[in-house]
Amino acid sequence: MSKRNTPPLRSSGINTIQINAAREMHAQTVRARRMPMPTSGITTPSVQPTAAPATPPRHICNNPNNPQCLHCGSVIIPSPRATLPLEDNPSISINDWTISSRKKPILNSQELDIWENEKLKGLTLPEMIFGNNYIRIENSKQHWSIEFNALDALKEVQLQDSGIRVAYSNDWINSKKRQNSTNGAQRFTNDVNDDSLNIIHKYDWTYTTRYKGTESSPESKFRLDNDQKLPLDKLAVHDKILFYDDMILFEDELADNGISILNVKIRVMNERLLLLSRFFLRVDDVLVRVYDTRIYVEFDENVVIRESKEFEGKYQDVLAKHRLSQSHDPKAALRDSNWVAQNTPMIKRQCEIIQF
Amino acid sequence: MMDLDKIIASLRDGKHIPEETVFRLCLNSQELLMNEGNVTQVDTPVTICGDIHGQLHDLLTLFEKSGGVEKTRYIFLGDFVDRGFYSLESFLLLLCYKLRYPDRITLIRGNHETRQITKVYGFYDEVVRKYGNSNVWRYCCEVFDYLSLGAIINNSIFCVHGGLSPDMTTVDEIRTIDRKQEVPHEGAMCDLLWSDPEDVDTWSLSPRGAGFLFGKREVDQFLEKNNVELIARAHQLVMEGYKEMFDGGLVTVWSAPNYCYRCGNVAAVLKIDDDLNREYTIFEAVQAQNEVGNAIIPTKKSQMDYFL
Repeated sequence: MSKRNTPPLRSSGINTIQINAAREMHAQTVRARRMPMPTSGITTPSVQPTAAPATPPRHICNNPNNPQCLHCGSVIIPSPRATLPLEDNPSISINDWTISSRKKPILNSQELDIWENEKLKGLTLPEMIFGNNYIRIENSKQHWSIEFNALDALKEVQLQDSGIRVAYSNDWINSKKRQNSTNGAQRFTNDVNDDSLNIIHKYDWTYTTRYKGTESSPESKFRLDNDQKLPLDKLAVHDKILFYDDMILFEDELADNGISILNVKIRVMNERLLLLSRFFLRVDDVLVRVYDTRIYVEFDENVVIRESKEFEGKYQDVLAKHRLSQSHDPKAALRDSNWVAQNTPMIKRQCEIIQF
Repeated sequence: MMDLDKIIASLRDGKHIPEETVFRLCLNSQELLMNEGNVTQVDTPVTICGDIHGQLHDLLTLFEKSGGVEKTRYIFLGDFVDRGFYSLESFLLLLCYKLRYPDRITLIRGNHETRQITKVYGFYDEVVRKYGNSNVWRYCCEVFDYLSLGAIINNSIFCVHGGLSPDMTTVDEIRTIDRKQEVPHEGAMCDLLWSDPEDVDTWSLSPRGAGFLFGKREVDQFLEKNNVELIARAHQLVMEGYKEMFDGGLVTVWSAPNYCYRCGNVAAVLKIDDDLNREYTIFEAVQAQNEVGNAIIPTKKSQMDYFL
């Protein structure tokens, strides 16, 4: 696992809160001015007020232990603590939609045994599994939900050799083979033979997963439509964020040969939400891979769009792009999945839609 | 003569240490460590500690919960640096204790005590951020090359960072390694710092294409051939702080609680008394704020990011 040490808290978060507070104060002032509606003896049905009164908030928050929502007074940002028990389970409802999430510590040994021997038999588990974490988007009227969790993501990991090897694999194996022949006359001194240099545990040690979420319906309600696009113009607007969560589902440091991490985050505004599930793989000096799945929901139109993208490139090719920028530490960029996704060839894109 | 107690107090408070002071600490540490063998002889009672990974405040908790270096002997199984935000202070604190109490601190090399790994996993970045250049990182890497590869407690418990190597069936063979080098990508020295125990019938190649997995048979053979009763190692995260395997013939000790400031795990140290009894002490992570509300761990709170 590799993650650059967290820089000091970015001011954008604080600024966003301050901006929202300022907007709220402004809105309150404007609402106060509108209260005494001007009365007139002359009224015609076609005449409308120039500004509609502000509608009451239509979302419901359930966010214990966290900073307050400036709009409805409830809280927004889950904040995991180190003290056990670590659990956070906030949610928000808008129309028929409910968005909820949960964060807990990594699985303990008892839970790991169950996953290893029953739920994910045959897979050597990643080192850090946040197996009790999830983000769920639910429409109660349609009896449909989509959830992102670690167990279902790991079920998509192939139980066969990925073919990928760490950078120094050839050196390591050739060294062992040379030692075997040198020690041939003294075979009794150790038990290594050429059979030991074959891989016995067959599974994808990079934990690559093309997981796109778990739907509650037995058959997917998504319809393939690659002409669909996420409405980036709407998403680029800085509408007030009413609910936000960001969590890791699993992470493995690949025995200090890179990183394999599945991260999922969601932001919910008054009219829409965007969820990003990102699988990021870096095998040092070998390759980088980013598999993104985005879920977009428009609440009033009851539209769900799911877009998946796959980026993959050779480590040295991607690194070469950063060298051009004359950075002091070019490898730092390869620890940033956003930078990697922007500088790595996209090899596949797929888009699906649900119109309830 | 350096005022080690003053430097120790500064390190415990997380205060900046001048580059010149770090240089002298590292130079003195090299002179001290080069006289130690590849496998250090340690007497009981002793407390065995696993990975620290730059979590200084949890390291301080570890000392507080287990008696402290003034009264207790310690073996640290490597991986002092990377990932946490205070790798430098953590490593320098251990070096200062080594200089101050040479017979009470044993430092074993982990797979993170190398130039290649620290360049990628945080220590290098941390030093450049704190000093504006990488000199201190280079001084520390010089010290890494002098760390021991293992330790033996009362000739009965073998301590190592990662695990066993098929090229080294006896402790005496480990003593013949030329350890003063960057950890190579292959060979016995590599195996000692990188291999992992697994439920396998014999030596088995990791599916990553490098590194060995070893099983109960290899552990039992090593214990019998060397007349030891336990292999204590670290290297792998354990949610409960420690994990015994192979009928208690091997234990993984993990000493970084709430690893990476988000795993929520507890940590452990293992005390061995004069009769070789084992006593595990479990401890939790420090809170993100101290008693007067000042942040000591940057809080990993999600920022409301307008991601696309």
